[in-house]
Formats: sequence, structure tokens, C-alpha cells
Amino acid sequence: MNVMRRPLGLSKFRFYSTQTTRPFVPPASLNHFDFRQRQREKPRPTSPAFYTARPEFYDQLSSLESALQHAKTALTTCHLLPLPQFAREALPPRINAWVDKRELGLKLRSTLTTSRYRRVVLVLNELETYRSIAEKAGIAELQEGIRGITELFERADAATMLARGKAKPVKFDEYGRSYTLGKRKTSSARVWIVPVQQPPADKPTSQSISAATETDTALMALLDPNSSSKSNEPVSVAQILVNNTPLSTYFPIPADRTRVIHPIKLAGLLGAYNIFAIVRGGGTSGQSGALAHGIAKGLAAHEPDVATILRKAKLLRRDPRMVERKKPGLAKARKRYAWVKR
Amino acid sequence: MLSVRCQRVSYQLLASSSTSPLVQTRSYATQPKKGQIVKQASQGFKGKKTAPSGQMEPAKKDKKMMAFQPLPVSQLPHPLFESDRPDTLTLQTFHPEMLTRVVESQALKFPHNDDDPFRIFGLPRNILVEFRLLSKPCSVIRSVTIDAINKLDAASEKNSKESRVVFTGPQGCGKSFLLLQALQYCNARDWLVLYIPRATNLVNSTTAHTYDMRTRTYLQPIFAYQTLQRFLKVNTPRLEQLRTQTEIEIERRPPVPPGTPLVELINIGLKDQGHAPTVLDAVLEEIGKQTIFPVLLAVDDFQALYCKSHYRDQHFSAIKPYHLSMPRLLLEYASGQKSFARGAVFGALSMSNTTFPLPVELREALSLKYDRPYGPYVKRQPELVEYAHGLESLAVPSSLSVSEAASVFEVWMKDRAVPSKPNDELFLAKYSEASGNARAFVWKGLLSSMS
Repeated sequence: MNVMRRPLGLSKFRFYSTQTTRPFVPPASLNHFDFRQRQREKPRPTSPAFYTARPEFYDQLSSLESALQHAKTALTTCHLLPLPQFAREALPPRINAWVDKRELGLKLRSTLTTSRYRRVVLVLNELETYRSIAEKAGIAELQEGIRGITELFERADAATMLARGKAKPVKFDEYGRSYTLGKRKTSSARVWIVPVQQPPADKPTSQSISAATETDTALMALLDPNSSSKSNEPVSVAQILVNNTPLSTYFPIPADRTRVIHPIKLAGLLGAYNIFAIVRGGGTSGQSGALAHGIAKGLAAHEPDVATILRKAKLLRRDPRMVERKKPGLAKARKRYAWVKR
Repeated sequence: MLSVRCQRVSYQLLASSSTSPLVQTRSYATQPKKGQIVKQASQGFKGKKTAPSGQMEPAKKDKKMMAFQPLPVSQLPHPLFESDRPDTLTLQTFHPEMLTRVVESQALKFPHNDDDPFRIFGLPRNILVEFRLLSKPCSVIRSVTIDAINKLDAASEKNSKESRVVFTGPQGCGKSFLLLQALQYCNARDWLVLYIPRATNLVNSTTAHTYDMRTRTYLQPIFAYQTLQRFLKVNTPRLEQLRTQTEIEIERRPPVPPGTPLVELINIGLKDQGHAPTVLDAVLEEIGKQTIFPVLLAVDDFQALYCKSHYRDQHFSAIKPYHLSMPRLLLEYASGQKSFARGAVFGALSMSNTTFPLPVELREALSLKYDRPYGPYVKRQPELVEYAHGLESLAVPSSLSVSEAASVFEVWMKDRAVPSKPNDELFLAKYSEASGNARAFVWKGLLSSMS
């Protein structure tokens, strides 16, 4: 029986205008009703953000903030927070690559405005900072826990984005070949470098030569400079193929050949690596310069110690000089027309 | 149907006391000088009367060549030249008995004597310059040298028809040098040698050519004369032992009876230039019949014999090489139509000559790769195909092996001809730059750079 309901005739909303007081009901007749249950008839909202405009968003945000709070307390218990200024500066600077606004909106199941997106990103940045502190401190569990959260919000191509502007490491294939690209003016050279396979040395024969005879031959060589003492060790020789022709056939001019060999000579790797290259575009000197650039990059990949020498010799640098454009009023890029007095 | 010019020439010649046939020369051909060969020429309409006579003359010096001539040591007194420093280049002499696989990659110097075939026959231009730069002519024995020498040893017992070899390979790989080594080997082994160092000179219209009614070819009397002279000079001790076996007919002369010493036969050709082509033919035939000495016919610039010559006939069309006496003779021996009872015919191609490039008939006969697309619609002259039939190709490796290159490097280094500091880095750098090619290694590598 719904006696507590408003009697008919009285409107639900116009409470103030019609009846200000409730009709009197004697308490004894209300004994068998349970008022607490009535109060709980409407279910309690699941989340505190129920009455907000975007409950899902605020739910996610609050869970992130709670995770942040947990991380903060964990770090504080480990005496890592608050971090002194010098320690904060010692942390590696991190550029974060979070998903964009649209993607984040999809993840959080609600369209985001810029201010809401910024709010989420702020929390994520803080989380990332705590993660880096934990990583530096060596707390693996905490670090992995935070990582588990932050990686959900990281871009798919985060690695590429972060590596923008940095030199890509040269990859080697299953045969140990490096693949590099060299450029000069309008020419480009694709260079594959592979170490020369040394023939297996005959170890038993070399061991059979006694020490005495070795010193004798060395002494003879010292005393008589004219004697040519050719050792039996085979000299490895590098093959250089450009567009499937030997280097001497492709570049008939000695200057071009020298330019190509120069990086190998400086590195001291003259008989060590075989080179195969495909060059395209430009003329002879451009192609030889591009090839030299590609070879230098490949050698630096194979032997990192050599990279310093090649960098000093400016062989790892792509020569930025290009053909200058012709300007109006000038005959060529710089050449002026003959000056006429009148 | 003679032109007016030829008629005038013929009248003038008939008027003179010479017995030589009709001669056509170019107006810009070199004037006969004293001590040199006299060309029996009447120049165009002017018809200068020159006293034609075949004179004995020493080996022809190439004065046109602007080749390097080193100063003698006596003219280098400045201490910078270090003329008093002893020669560090000590090489063993090229001796036929020692040429085995053991001497591979070793440099050997060529023997020096009066009848040296290099001095008498001459050398290709590149090699001549190289020998002038070096203190003594030498060469490195390669594995392909031993192969060629083994072929020669096998050929000494067989007919030359079975041993017609042409050295092939890219430019600068050492074909001419290999031919020189073969020539020296045969000369030391007591073969009869005939060497044509520059076959391009036979077809590039540098000497007179005359039309002969009897053979219906164009004779080259000057070349025949020179060849006879040089052949005699180099092979005198061997030729003295030989005699003709049949009667030989020579125009305007009583026939030469059998049993005449070959030296005498050659001298008949040397007395009169007009007889030289016939005598040369006869001499080669006679030495082809005998079996006492094997014969080597070595021709450099071999492909020039198969190209169109620069000679022109009266219609201004190019004369075919097999219509000229000297190239025809060489082609006949190269194709096996004529042969020596014992001996071989060796040729070396020259891939760097652009006026006489390798023709398609020879390329196909030697089974070489094409440099441009040829097809069945490209005309191949049947005569040249026949002349190229049966030639064997001996491929000279395009790159020197490391030990061979090391010997070459050592020779130039010890001769103090390398401008840069001669260390192993220079050697490997220049070897890599040249990709092992011999000419590129020496000329564009070692001698051209100052590092």
C-alpha cells in the first residue's frame, strides 16, 4: 500500500504551491515500514564521478591519480622523494611521446577537450618522472608497475619519434653485411660492405718452424735490405664492385678512384672489406664522392673505433655543397655580366 | 682505265731508268731523306723525279713518336739525382731453362745483345716508353706466361696450323708483354722468329702501296723490305744453315735455283725493294717446309689485320686488308691456309686502339663476349670469317695476382721510379684502385700519384 505517496490531486512538483505540510499520519501505523531500506532503494552510484558530466573520464583520471599517489608514497617510503635539485638534474631528460587527443579519447571512451587532454598528460608526465626515479634507484618492481600503466598511453611509434634527429644505427644482415647510403651533389650510392673471408691459416706448418730459423731470417732481412723476404702469409685483397663492374673500369680517372679508396686507406682497412655498391645520378665526381661517403659510414659501422678518425677527416659528413642556382641579373650563379661604363 | 694522274706518273716512271712498278703515294707522305728508305714516288701532278733505288739501311728509328727519352746519367751531376747510388735492382736474366712454375711472380730481365729481337724488330709504343723509364728491360713471369711457354713447347713439334693462339683480355692486362716473353723464349730456344710489333702500321696507310697485276693485290714493298731486313738480322746464324728446296721465280729476274742459301735469297729482296714482297713470300714458304728450326710468327695489334685499312683505291673506297700483301700474308698464316712444318702463330689483341677496334668476325671466332648488342643482321664478311677460323684464344687474367703485383711494385720501387713513399699502404691502395689491372696499377697508380 503506498500510503506514503502523495495523495492524488496533489502534484509532485508543485509542492510549495499546494501543500506546505504533510498530512498527519499517526506513528503507530508506520511501525511495520522500514525507512532505511526505502532510503536505499536508489542504488548507490558505483563511482564517485557518477554525478559528473563525463564519469568514465573522471574515473580513469582518478585511477591514474591514485596510481600516482601510490607511486609517490612508495618513493617517499624509500626516501627518494622529495628529490634534491642536483639529483633531479642528474635524471636523464625525457621527451614523452603520449598518444594524441583523439587516441586518448578513444582509450578513455570519451571525447576530450584540450584542457582535459592536458590534465591527463600532466599526470602521465608525473608518473613517468617517478618511473625514471625508480629506474635510476634500481627499484625494479615499482618501475615495472608504473611502466605497465604508462605504456598503455604511449604512441605506437614512440621509439621512432624519440629517435628523430639522431643517427640511426646501421643494421647488419645474417651474413654480416652492412648497408649504408652515401650522397654527394645529386648522386646517391647504396653500399654493402662485408668482411673479406680469410682462408684458414695452416697452423701446423707455422708451428713447425723453429724459433732459431725465424730469428735467422729476420736477421738476414735486417742486414741485407735488398733481399726480398716474402713471407708465406697470403695477403688479403679487397674487391670493390661499382654497378657490377670493377672500380678501375667504372672510374677511369685516377682522382675519382683515390677519392673512393681514401676512407678505407685512412681507416687502415685496405684488404679487409669487400665492397659492392650501386651508384646513381650525377656525374663521375659526384658518384665517387657519394661512394666514399657510403663507404665511410659502412666502415664506421663495422669498426666503431675508426669512426673518430673518419669524423675528423670529415668523411662521415654529407657534403652539403650543391649547385647554386642562377640569379636574375647575373649570367650564372655568381658571374656578372660585363660592366659597361655607359 | 687509268686516271690522268696515274698516266702521267706512269710516263714519268717509264722515262726514268727504274725497273720498279707503278707506285701510288699520298701527297703528304714523308719526303725521302738521306740514310732512310727512298720511296719511289712521283708526287701528284708535279711529278718530281727521284732516283729510285733500294738502299741498305739500318733499323728504322721512329722519329715521329714523341716518346720519353731519359737523360744519360752523365748529364745528371746534381746530388739530388743520386746518380752515384748503386743500382739496387738486381734481377736474374730471362733464361728459357728456368721458366717453370717455381719462378712465377718473379721479375726477370731480358738479355741484352746485338741481335736482340726487341732492338731489331721494335716494340709496341707503351712498352717502348716503359723500357726507357726502367733502368733495364724486364718483365714479371706470370702463371699465364708458363701456360704460353708450355703451349710453345708443344707447338715446336707440331704444324703451325694446330697452334694459332691469340692473347685476349681487357686493356692493360699484359697481352703485349706476354707476347714479348714468348718471343724472347723462342729466340733463346733457337727458333726462327718473326715479330710484327705494330700491325696497325701495316693497314694505316703510312707507307706506299702498289697494285700488282700478277697477284692482283696491293703490294707493300717498303714493309716487305723492312721485314726481310730485320728477319735476316735477328735470325742470321739459323738462316745460314738453311737452303731453298724448290725453284723460286722472281719477276724480271732469272729464277733462283734450289739449294741456294736462304741468306742469299733474302739479299736478292734487299737489293731491290720491288722484289721484296715476292722474296718474303718465298722465304716464309721455304722456312715453312724445313723441319730443323721451329718458327714463331708473333703479331701485336692482331685485330688490325681484320679491320678495314686506311688505304684507298682509285674509287676512294677502303682497301680490304686481305688485298694488301703484308696483312694478307699474316692472315694466311693465322688462318692455317699456309703453315710452318714446325712452329706457331701467336697474336696479341690491342683493346685500347679505337681506330682499329676488335671486329665482330674475330670476336666470334675467339668466342669473346660482345661489348654491344650484335645480332644475325649485322654483316660479317665471309672472307674475314674464313681468315679467323680456327684461332684459339688464350685469356690473359684481367688482374695481377698479389705476388705478381708485388714483384712489379718491387721493380719500380728499386728503380727509384715511384714518386710517393713506397710502402705497403701505397701498394695495397694502388692495387685496390686499379682492381689488379697491370697498366692502371703502374701508370695511373704508382707513377701518377704523389702521396
